[in-house]
Amino acid sequence: MGNITFAFKKLAKKRVGRLDKRWDFDAQSAISSAPFVADIDGDGKKEIIFGTKKGKLFVLSSDANIKWFYDSSETVDEVELMFLDVENVSSIEAPPNVADINQDGRHEVVFGTELGMVYLLDDKGKLIWKFKAGGPIRGQVLIYDLYQDNDMKVIFGCEDQKLYVLDSRGRLVWNFDAGSAIQSTPSILQKDQPCVVFGADDGSIFCVSKKGDMVWKFKTKGKVFAQPAIEKLFKDGRFYIIIGSNDHYLYALDDAGELAWEYKTNGAILAKACVTDINNDGKMEVVFGSCDNNIYALNASGDKLWSYETDFWIVSEPIVEDIDGDGKKEVIIGSYDHNIYVLDSEGSYVLDYVPGLSGVVQQAGHYSDIITQEPGKVAGKKIWQFKTDGVVVGCAYVPEGKSIIVNTKPGLVNEIVHKEE
Amino acid sequence: MAGVISSKSEIKRIPLYIEGLDENMQGGVPEGHITLISGSAGTMKSSITFNVLYNESLRGKICVYLSLEQSYNSIIKQMINMNFDMSKVNLVIVKDLADLRNAIAKVKTPGAGALVMVDIGCIRKEIKDVKTADNKSWLNVIKNVVKKIKEEANCHLFCLDSLSALYVLSRFENPRIELFYLFEFLRDLEITSFLISESQPQSGRYSEFEIEEFLCDGIVYLRLTPFRRNVVREISVVKMRATACNNDIFSLEYKHDRFQALYGGQNPLL
Repeated sequence: MGNITFAFKKLAKKRVGRLDKRWDFDAQSAISSAPFVADIDGDGKKEIIFGTKKGKLFVLSSDANIKWFYDSSETVDEVELMFLDVENVSSIEAPPNVADINQDGRHEVVFGTELGMVYLLDDKGKLIWKFKAGGPIRGQVLIYDLYQDNDMKVIFGCEDQKLYVLDSRGRLVWNFDAGSAIQSTPSILQKDQPCVVFGADDGSIFCVSKKGDMVWKFKTKGKVFAQPAIEKLFKDGRFYIIIGSNDHYLYALDDAGELAWEYKTNGAILAKACVTDINNDGKMEVVFGSCDNNIYALNASGDKLWSYETDFWIVSEPIVEDIDGDGKKEVIIGSYDHNIYVLDSEGSYVLDYVPGLSGVVQQAGHYSDIITQEPGKVAGKKIWQFKTDGVVVGCAYVPEGKSIIVNTKPGLVNEIVHKEE
Repeated sequence: MAGVISSKSEIKRIPLYIEGLDENMQGGVPEGHITLISGSAGTMKSSITFNVLYNESLRGKICVYLSLEQSYNSIIKQMINMNFDMSKVNLVIVKDLADLRNAIAKVKTPGAGALVMVDIGCIRKEIKDVKTADNKSWLNVIKNVVKKIKEEANCHLFCLDSLSALYVLSRFENPRIELFYLFEFLRDLEITSFLISESQPQSGRYSEFEIEEFLCDGIVYLRLTPFRRNVVREISVVKMRATACNNDIFSLEYKHDRFQALYGGQNPLL
């Protein structure tokens, strides 16, 4: 009887309000990736920074006015140009990154392009330096004080199969030959010393020391485009690497590169997973999207809590935040089906049979197990949905206004906010 | 609706210049179609396609014949031996990418046709140190050359000789996806394309990956059929979208300086 009461209580949960568009901005060019939100000029207001397929880096104010833009188009030799994909030659494929790289007390913006250039701009959009790598840069550029010497390092993977580490002045410190193109954004694993973890097109996940030596390698069966999420999954103090592959699996590796668990979906996993406590139970959960159209929530041991199916691929990283201010976190995800979904982080309790009765009718004589187990399951639950003007390539959260910035492939950027009706 | 025709008379066609076959396919291939010219070695795939481009350039069209294997010299020699008068066409050879701009300038005269032969073999010899590591680069070269000629000189017809050579050169990682985008690229250019495809006799396939057969708008199949000690060249239209065509097998002959399709549906050797 207690189980039935529990089930009906779960079913009765209601949320109010809707998602509303605050503004949109037309970048006049396709966009491939999520925006980055940061206060780059120190005015106390967050800016929205993103790159386009035509090679423009935009910095918008929080009310969608252009603060400045930088055109990264480069003159290319006519013959060399014939060997390139002309439509995408200037494209900025990954989100930019922002940090005080040269320790001048101001923020800089760093990003890579399809032409293999990395640009460092100051907070007004003036070029500080640029670096030419040997191939397209499709992942985000990571900024980290790798040697803990107050000199930020600029770390990125490249299609030329190398992981590059530059110093704050744009000079090469070392590169690591992965033997396969690198399209994944690197992350930092903090062991005794910081290490760089990234995926490669041959399915490998590499862990490389701060000096550029391989620490370990884990092999998957598909290209690894996703950025590793590195978090303490359990209370044992160890970091775990959570990363998806084109082989449809999400992997959890310990800090020695040993497989802790894997979870199979039915599609490629292209984006970073979000590892956080989504339901305030004091334990970590893992939320990620797959090209099987689903968003999944797993517990720290890799068991499914719930999943929710959209109408097309999910290639962007989920956001887990409390956007309606009710003290509970929501899961926000953009899909290739043009929609932004806000999901209940706890899922929804669904009765799948009436205890006792169905057991008696369907399995006479063998129903004792059925009527004693919980009569239902937890499924993904949509709270709100917002239809954008195109395929959603990435989202970012703005904490001040509790809003979501949504980048769409055709080049429209939207700010979406929850409104109570 | 823009771009949608309202009657079949609006469908413009490019003849295959094969007497006896064009009459059996409403006059030819619809403009903008992508057609596979499939067959084994020695079935005259290149000659038939060259013949279409040659005749269309005489009618004022800009045509591009892009060869990945056979050199332009060898192709021209072969066509002259078949009594093609190459002095009649505005023949422009591209054997160096740096010369592409000049080549385009030569075909820009309004109303005048031209036959542009792009010899990728020659280009490969010219360029040894340009980014050959990326195996997709040569596909980019092909796309960029065609696109440039289309945009700057309004190219109407394009022949890729051959798809099989392209596969060797480009080593597609995921042929289904990459071929889809190649076909979409040609479709978006609104160019009438002939893709020459090597197929093995008796294989029952018209292309390497089979996906080409679904992606294309038409398939013209050529084969050699032995009968006792005779070998007959045969041609059939396996598929042609937007066309009511006779799918019978015809004998293919080159006589009196023209291609002829004969004895459709009949046995010529009896």
